[in-house]
Amino acid sequence: MELNVYTPQLAKIVQTKDEVVGARAIKTFRTEFANGARFDYRCGQCAMLSVFGKGEAMISISSSPLIKDYLQFSILRTGRVTAALHDMEVGDLIGVRGPYGNGFPMDAWQGKNLVFIGGGIGLAPLWSVVQTALLRKSEFGALSLIYGARTSKDIVFKDELADLKGQMPVHLSIDVAEPDWKEFVGFVPTNVLEKKPSPANTIAITCGPPIMIKFVIKNLKDLKFEDEQIYTTVENKMKCGIGKCGRCNIGFHYVCKDGPVYSWADLKKLPQEY
Amino acid sequence: MEKILAKKSFPQWVKKLDSWRVYIPRKDEEGRWNYFEADGGEVSLDVLQTTLPPKKILFPQREVFLEFAKTLAGNRETLEIKEVLPEVKPTVIIGARPCEARAAWMLDEVFGGEFKDVYYWKRRDQTTLVGFACTTPPSENCFCTSVEGSPHSEEGLDLLLTDLGDRYYVQSMTAKGEKLISAAKALFEEPKPEAKKQVKAAHAESEKKIRRQLKDARPIAQKLKGMFDSPLWDEESMSCLRCGICTYLCPSCHCFDIGDEVESPSPLKGQRVRTWDTCQFPDFTMHSSGHNPRPDKASRLRQRLLHKFQYFIQVYDKFMCVGCGRCITLCPVGIDIIKVLDKVRDHGA
Repeated sequence: MELNVYTPQLAKIVQTKDEVVGARAIKTFRTEFANGARFDYRCGQCAMLSVFGKGEAMISISSSPLIKDYLQFSILRTGRVTAALHDMEVGDLIGVRGPYGNGFPMDAWQGKNLVFIGGGIGLAPLWSVVQTALLRKSEFGALSLIYGARTSKDIVFKDELADLKGQMPVHLSIDVAEPDWKEFVGFVPTNVLEKKPSPANTIAITCGPPIMIKFVIKNLKDLKFEDEQIYTTVENKMKCGIGKCGRCNIGFHYVCKDGPVYSWADLKKLPQEY
Repeated sequence: MEKILAKKSFPQWVKKLDSWRVYIPRKDEEGRWNYFEADGGEVSLDVLQTTLPPKKILFPQREVFLEFAKTLAGNRETLEIKEVLPEVKPTVIIGARPCEARAAWMLDEVFGGEFKDVYYWKRRDQTTLVGFACTTPPSENCFCTSVEGSPHSEEGLDLLLTDLGDRYYVQSMTAKGEKLISAAKALFEEPKPEAKKQVKAAHAESEKKIRRQLKDARPIAQKLKGMFDSPLWDEESMSCLRCGICTYLCPSCHCFDIGDEVESPSPLKGQRVRTWDTCQFPDFTMHSSGHNPRPDKASRLRQRLLHKFQYFIQVYDKFMCVGCGRCITLCPVGIDIIKVLDKVRDHGA
């Protein structure tokens, strides 16, 4: 039978974890395909998740493509579909179709140092790259992570970040001071200036709220990073995921298909429509 | 293949197409022209332009993608999803205008490519387009000749019929078209050499009748690249009521929404449907955070024009406008795509 690009595969939620509770709740889900469907993807690609009866939402895949047992998604409770996902439990079935988008050009980064710069839920798409870079460590130079959230409560992957500190420098920040906080206090872009990653043979990959990305890029430029050394991801509202439904475009680019990963050299050529 | 069909034989020919589902233009109960199934009834062709183009036959306003249902067996709940594909009979659209067929030739690009849209192609592959050259006076806002089309263009058509008084000159461009002729072979005659001359003259005459013109559409496409931040969009969109009629009635507009419709919440039962959508609605691009990359009428008018006159050309080397003029004629506040693009061309000149 002809492949129908709009038909999702059923997948079972096999694990859930509350990353952040309360107002800006974030939950991490692991799913396994109910019928053993094949799903090969690249770091930075996304999947269209279905909650039947609610609709679909495009979510970045936060697990490494080298791990074949499950797909992982970390999801901020924000709209109708993500709210319904948050109410789901282990054993519930969702729909998954994809993968969509271009993904990060990791093969082109071989031999280079990678500095990851994330804010809030923006660590989710980066996490796939971080995990993959660790699994392919010999192929890359030095790895490091600069990550921040509004408050210590809003930090995702808390346990994993503690483990990660044994494997690469991890610089955390929160926006305003808290009594027991020992690391940087201030916005992520400021922490970038503070930690001064060297642009020598380095690729910076940043993901987070648009305003954070804007100033991270500005500060990386101040640190003498070239446009080609900076990568980021863009988010726009999506329905089809395959460049047809007409809403996620930035100029002639469809983010779902031609993005979501852009080098700053490419992104700065596109109009400000994201 | 070129043939002659006597006008008096035309109804007989349509009757012979009984193994096809035949769509023809007909007035609806409110007096508006639209496409309906012929159902053996009268075929009247005295309309130049239907209000709704035949796009809906290839890309319906609402279509079901899948059905989902939860069932309870004992205390075990199971979820089932069932893909729904359209059941398509061989279909003929009779009376399509060359511009409307050109729109299909544009939609083929959108729904083709790396991710083939099976819903569109199941219909498209089974549909034969029978067009009529526009030899009667055009509508007040027809401008097909400005966007690389013409009142007798062949792109997207399988058969093109040209009115020669008491006869039609029938040109077949595809095997699908020839099949329709074969269905009633006896009705068709071989054309005499002078008929060819008459057709050429009729086609040339039809082009001259087009009253409106958009000059330099290709250079405008180039120029639009530098006009993303122009104040022009603000000025031109001021009167827009964001009703979306310009896109819903457009033969080439194809933006859509996918959503779930719930018949019963418990036990869950419903359908996933695709419906037409429009870039002219504010929530079309609004993120769940409330952020909107196209937050105002200016950015949405710009999107409509740039999609049609710049982005599509950049990607597919075609305009995404067939010059039918519906968006001009039917806009309640008189936003005129030709006048807006005239301003783009003359900007800074």
